Amino acid sequence: MARLPLEGVRVTDFSWIGAGSYTTKLLADFGADVIKIESSTRLDSLRSTAPFKDRVPGVNRSGYFADRNTSKRSVTVNMKHPRGQELARALIARSDVVANNFTPGTMEKFGLGYEDVRRFKPDIIYLAMSMQGARGPDSEFVGFGLTIGALTGLQYLSGSPERIPAGTGTNYPDHVPNPCHAGFAVLAALHHRRRTGRGQYIDFAQTEPTIALLGPAIVDYTANGRIEERSGNDHPRAAPHGVYPCLGEDRWIAICVMHDGQWRRLAEALGRPEWSAAADWSTGEGRRADRRRLDRLLAAETAKRDPYELMLLLQRHGVPAGVVQNAADLVARDPQLTHRGHWLRLEHPEMGESIYNAPPFRFSRTQVALSRPAPLLGQHTAEVLGGLLGMPCEEVAALAAEGVLV
Amino acid sequence: MSEGTAASPAALEGIRVLDAAGPMGAYCGKLFADMGADVILVEPPAGSTLRREPPFIGDVEQPESGIAFTYCNTSERGITLNLDEARGQALFLKLCATAHLVIETEKPGVMARRGLGYAQLAAATPAIVLTSITPFGQTGPYADFESEDLVGLAMGGLLNMMGDPDIAPTRAGGNQAYAMASMFGAVASMLALLEAQQSGAGQHVDVSMQECVVMALENAAQFYDLEGTVRRRFGGAQRQAGTGTFACKDGYVYIFAGGMAAVRFWGNAVRWLIDGGAPGAEQLEDPRWSDIGFLDSAEAKQIFSGIFGPFALRYTKAELYYEGQRRRVPICPVSTAADIAGNRQLQHRGFFAQVMHAPSNRALTMPGAPYRLSETPWRIRRPAPRLGEHNAEIYGELGVEARELRALARQGVI
Repeated sequence: MARLPLEGVRVTDFSWIGAGSYTTKLLADFGADVIKIESSTRLDSLRSTAPFKDRVPGVNRSGYFADRNTSKRSVTVNMKHPRGQELARALIARSDVVANNFTPGTMEKFGLGYEDVRRFKPDIIYLAMSMQGARGPDSEFVGFGLTIGALTGLQYLSGSPERIPAGTGTNYPDHVPNPCHAGFAVLAALHHRRRTGRGQYIDFAQTEPTIALLGPAIVDYTANGRIEERSGNDHPRAAPHGVYPCLGEDRWIAICVMHDGQWRRLAEALGRPEWSAAADWSTGEGRRADRRRLDRLLAAETAKRDPYELMLLLQRHGVPAGVVQNAADLVARDPQLTHRGHWLRLEHPEMGESIYNAPPFRFSRTQVALSRPAPLLGQHTAEVLGGLLGMPCEEVAALAAEGVLV
Repeated sequence: MSEGTAASPAALEGIRVLDAAGPMGAYCGKLFADMGADVILVEPPAGSTLRREPPFIGDVEQPESGIAFTYCNTSERGITLNLDEARGQALFLKLCATAHLVIETEKPGVMARRGLGYAQLAAATPAIVLTSITPFGQTGPYADFESEDLVGLAMGGLLNMMGDPDIAPTRAGGNQAYAMASMFGAVASMLALLEAQQSGAGQHVDVSMQECVVMALENAAQFYDLEGTVRRRFGGAQRQAGTGTFACKDGYVYIFAGGMAAVRFWGNAVRWLIDGGAPGAEQLEDPRWSDIGFLDSAEAKQIFSGIFGPFALRYTKAELYYEGQRRRVPICPVSTAADIAGNRQLQHRGFFAQVMHAPSNRALTMPGAPYRLSETPWRIRRPAPRLGEHNAEIYGELGVEARELRALARQGVI
């Protein structure tokens, strides 16, 4: 079995909450030794965010936190204490990457801005994931994934045109766009460092990746002067294309008829030969022009059927169709995710066994497995100080007595 | 400026990528190319399907003017090659021998039937990484399913959480399922490349769009596992008192008054409403507003919207954004494309890139660097390639002579 790609890479990780923690999780799950610097005096708020094991809140009981922090070690350090800052410097000196997602200026207050760090660790890769970048008029603004979804234009483009913009219902930029972009940037910087020995500073604004994903809408405005509006589930050139009701409470199926062949096969699958016979509907243009009527006709057919049976029927006819699955469907029923081993169950010292996502890709040679569940708050403080920093037990105890390790 | 100069080193210099991906993987190649990898877009002779995606520059519907194509293929060189033809396959294998990474989005088994599956590529080029991005992965009961972006959002569970609860769920803008597959595809490819540099061996990377979408479910799987509850969508309505979308004078704002775990910023929002003379705002100082259970109640949501709703309607989204943020309240405009183009912070950062579009002879303004690397800046090296633009250059490197190239073009191989 191949070694994990990032074995030998160490990360001193100041990141917390969403986007930062998810970025360093990507590194940790693939072999990096990620040391999460935490403090009970400034708790990672994800630790106090539901859901909790048995619905009992507690800093070591959040499933949200757990899934974002697999394979990491947790060290509690009071960063307001000079000795705490000294410890952080010692860890960084033994690291390849430093990561944070604070408001600009926070790391500088600890004496750990990029300019400070490069003085004692010139080849460090320094990832700073602020909300809107290191400098500029709005750089100190506060936000979370949900407000970033609004600010970047994604929310405006998501939802029914007759309603207020619905957005993704989640802190989407935190979960995929920002962790993937930041992870990619760090991996590219590691590649560069391997070739040249040089580290660098990565100024990452948590707005910019999501805007980058909306490039076509931005260019439609800058080049054509058109402000793209949200359009429900419509497709710009295909119809029918939408989400249709099925038997059961809040059960839906997504169906996308992308070309004439699929239209004929949809009609055949549903036993409505007159649909494919109608000349008005024989082209994509014709169907799009009449899409609201088609949506109603199709919904009347789908509403009589079980969503899974209908999906299998349409797929057998080569029509793109998928059940709108909820979390219960995905965890308890989806045979494809089961086949891929997507859901992992890890034993956590306080939560017992609970569910974790595997990374969404597989390698033919490198095993993808999470090395450990999320750490308890400060679980590895003594281990890291004693092991990595070689500190004698008495010194660790003295630091603890001084309030440095809280 | 966000862009480096031609003299700056590039992070991915020396990596060659063959990008044979369709729309599901289009953004993956861009990530590599704008970081300095030598990305060669391999299109069928009729052109990538992305070229036909609307909208078009100047609304001129032609293959060099598709906005999505133009945007997703910056910094890439382009060749045409028919991978269903034996000589096309031989040329592809030859090109692979010069490359480190191949990205493709064909249905499982298609590349192998062409003699271009992982085993066949690796036999000739052991260090090659082949990244296959598909709707559901290479094997399994759904592996051969037909899919589109909307089906990916549905099957991955995110669609269920999007839109208003009383109507059908609605998708996110900008083909986000494809985007997620592309982004995770890029991360996975980079991991495999770093591993290959050390082991000398490549591997097959199998990316499932469905699984990528599952990564965006926030805490929904954990809610089901730990509490036995299934999260539903709440659309534009408040998910908790003080967290949601509100109409204002010229559009909408999103306010997250408490912040994560719901209490950190609450006092700032309340003071803002009191100072602004919002009727009834004083009651928001009551200690019960620091109880998350209460914030979840219909009563709390109704009281908050009764106070903040009329207040928000007095101002524009910019006024609410800047005044709220000045008081450290997590609030943002629900931006349109025009708001983003005019956003002062993005302008201060020089975020937007100018890229020449030859057919219309104008510079296009598009999103620029999604990250700023001090040593190896992100940079658009060239506009998206015209169909077959680099055929002579790239096939020339392989030793294909001009006469032979003309014959291959005549015979539909390139």
